[in-house]
Amino acid sequence: DPNMAAVAEKSTKERLLSVLDDLEVLSRELIEMLALSRSQKLPQPGEDTQILELLVQRDREFQELMEVAQQQGKVHQEMQLLEKEVEKRDSDIQQLQKQLKEAEHILATAVYQAKEKLKSIDKARKGSISSEEIIKYAHRISASNAVCAPLNWVPGDPRRPYPTDLEMRSGMLGHMANLPTNGVNGHLPGDALAAGRLPDVLTPNYHWHSSDVPVGMLPPHHGNDFGLEPPGHNKENEDDVEAMSTDSSSSSSDSD
Amino acid sequence: VTQIMEHSEQARNRFQSELEFIQCLANPNYLNFLAQRGFLRERPFINYLKYLLYWKEPEYAKFLKYPHCLHMLELLQYEHFRKELVNAQCAKFIDEQQLLHWQHYSRKRTRLQQALAEQQQPQQQPPPHGNTTRSI
Repeated sequence: DPNMAAVAEKSTKERLLSVLDDLEVLSRELIEMLALSRSQKLPQPGEDTQILELLVQRDREFQELMEVAQQQGKVHQEMQLLEKEVEKRDSDIQQLQKQLKEAEHILATAVYQAKEKLKSIDKARKGSISSEEIIKYAHRISASNAVCAPLNWVPGDPRRPYPTDLEMRSGMLGHMANLPTNGVNGHLPGDALAAGRLPDVLTPNYHWHSSDVPVGMLPPHHGNDFGLEPPGHNKENEDDVEAMSTDSSSSSSDSD
Repeated sequence: VTQIMEHSEQARNRFQSELEFIQCLANPNYLNFLAQRGFLRERPFINYLKYLLYWKEPEYAKFLKYPHCLHMLELLQYEHFRKELVNAQCAKFIDEQQLLHWQHYSRKRTRLQQALAEQQQPQQQPPPHGNTTRSI
């Protein structure tokens, strides 16, 4: 077994070379013997036969080894071919990888842009108002001279781009101000009218305190807690909370 | 059932009163009045002003006859503005500027009409001097 191991370790090339060496040695010996045999008799009879046998043996070994070497050469060639194939496949895979990455990049960009478009579509939809309503509103605020002064306006004309004292007084809040027991008074325009002037006003075309409110129109829920602060602020104004609610019961806050 | 009806009645009233009140804010004299009475310093009132910002939404804004009030409401969110309103001069300045802005369009239109009228005049009347320069 150690011999086998030793033989297995030796490469074919080494073995071939060692056999060649042996052949060389043996042939030299044979030639020397033949050379000597001319001049003198062989010291050992049969030695020439021995050497010849060894030569033949070594030659046979040599032939075998050559075959082995040939086979190995074939195998090696195959290996090289396969390696080339592997290389080709590798580069194919890398190429595909590049293309996939590119595709991914393009798709990602496309998806991103599509998302942005969707966002802006959404935004536009949210902000969309019917043109009819806009025109109505434009008419409303301009026909009544609320945003644009009347063409014949001169200083002294009582008309204004805001509700005047008289208009304020004639509104719902103005009327509420005349109720004596209403604790809400202090914070409403009613008081403002007490020291008002009485200008000669033209009646507005549109009621600024809209009587054409649709039935379902409700102001947003607020309860009555305008006095509440986030933690940390002083709470000294909590007494005023009740005064700010425009209705005393504020049932909207209860039902929740 | 009556409770529900009451609820919507109250809500309508609240809507109406808030609609009136917010438009009053377009009046700088009224703002001066509020400032001098100290309302603009009170935290609940300030919170209420913030709450009123809902009128900026289109579905509410369409009821406003005096849209200047929205701009005033936005300015009122700032403490500095609220403080300044105590001065009568400040209110007067705002009033003047507001009126000028209000008159801007009609003034511009009047100017355009005048310019148009002046352009047409040389065609209708012969020039006063024999060797005039171009008058346009």
